[in-house]
Amino acid sequence: MPVLSLRPGRSYAATVQEPVPAIDDGDLAQRIAMTRGDADAEAELCRRFAPRIRLYGLRHLRSAAGAADLVQDVLLMTLTKLRAGALRDSGKLASFILGTCRQMVIDGRRGGRRRERILETFSASVVDAEEPGEPLDLQRLESCLARLAERERSVLIMTFYDERPADEVATALGLSPGNVRVIRHRGIEKLRECVTAEAT
Amino acid sequence: MSEPVCIRALPTSALLAYWLGEHVAEEAATEEHLMGCARCSARLDTLVRLGQGIRRTTRAGNFHGVLSASFVEALRQDGLRVREYHVPRNGSVACTVTPDDDLVVSWLAAPLHDVQRLDLVFEDLVAGHALRMTDVAFDPAADAVVLAPNTTALRAFDSGPRRARLIAVQDGVERELGSYTFDHTR
Repeated sequence: MPVLSLRPGRSYAATVQEPVPAIDDGDLAQRIAMTRGDADAEAELCRRFAPRIRLYGLRHLRSAAGAADLVQDVLLMTLTKLRAGALRDSGKLASFILGTCRQMVIDGRRGGRRRERILETFSASVVDAEEPGEPLDLQRLESCLARLAERERSVLIMTFYDERPADEVATALGLSPGNVRVIRHRGIEKLRECVTAEAT
Repeated sequence: MSEPVCIRALPTSALLAYWLGEHVAEEAATEEHLMGCARCSARLDTLVRLGQGIRRTTRAGNFHGVLSASFVEALRQDGLRVREYHVPRNGSVACTVTPDDDLVVSWLAAPLHDVQRLDLVFEDLVAGHALRMTDVAFDPAADAVVLAPNTTALRAFDSGPRRARLIAVQDGVERELGSYTFDHTR
């Protein structure tokens, strides 16, 4: 069985040698299954899904480290299943990955014996699933935050400091939840536009 | 390899609601979409990064704004060292900021129950300039406005007086609710 070609510190895209036309998830899954480990296809799968799995992990585990572990575990499980031809409907790759995320979060298997066995199977392979993305320029963000309307800044700070839903922020500020959602939406869009505009 | 993009993108409001756990009934469907959609998951990732940046900015005290009493308490319980000043209406207070302070907040006592719009004017009487914060958030049931000045800016202040004024605005008419003097010492 060929080993995974991913290495720590390398981007998934960097392992792809030549540009390949748009390929949907189903075709990608089939390609991995048929070749029992096409390195380019596996790298592409990891590049596509690592950020999404990480978001799922952050949302449910509220931990960057937990999310990073989840990315590795889910990708390893997915590649193992695909190589073994165990995914019957390749068109449901995203659903399979989501289901695996849910099950792993429920089971709390991250870092457990199952992972160790899978890593032994892919002994020469390491999946570096950290996906830090473009670092945020905090000074730029602070400058953009200062330019928001007063209510927008108050609502965004009170929302995102510890990720409070609209009804909690509304109660604290004497506003309606609907009003908070409107202010929040307007504020985050302004902030995104400001940070993005200055970054380019 | 490029990949297909989704046709029906989730609106930003839906992404925020999902992330903040507001729409439990739609959570499963949203997750299905996000796992299959590079564009929407990238948009959510951007929002999450902005949120993380806001949290870091807040923890560093590098913002100014009006907060709520419960939020200040949450900051304190989260380990932030919050220096607080309670200033009576038309009163004054001797104040400072130390290297150990993460945040300084001032409670400006005022009757707010009949106020529709509230502006806050902060006057630096040393430097000779003023900042008007228009239409600040406030709880009409509260008896004070909680002002958090930028901690980094505070540290740069020379000693001397600053003043905050709360102004109620209704139908274009302004009414001063209170004046609050801060005798700042470095």
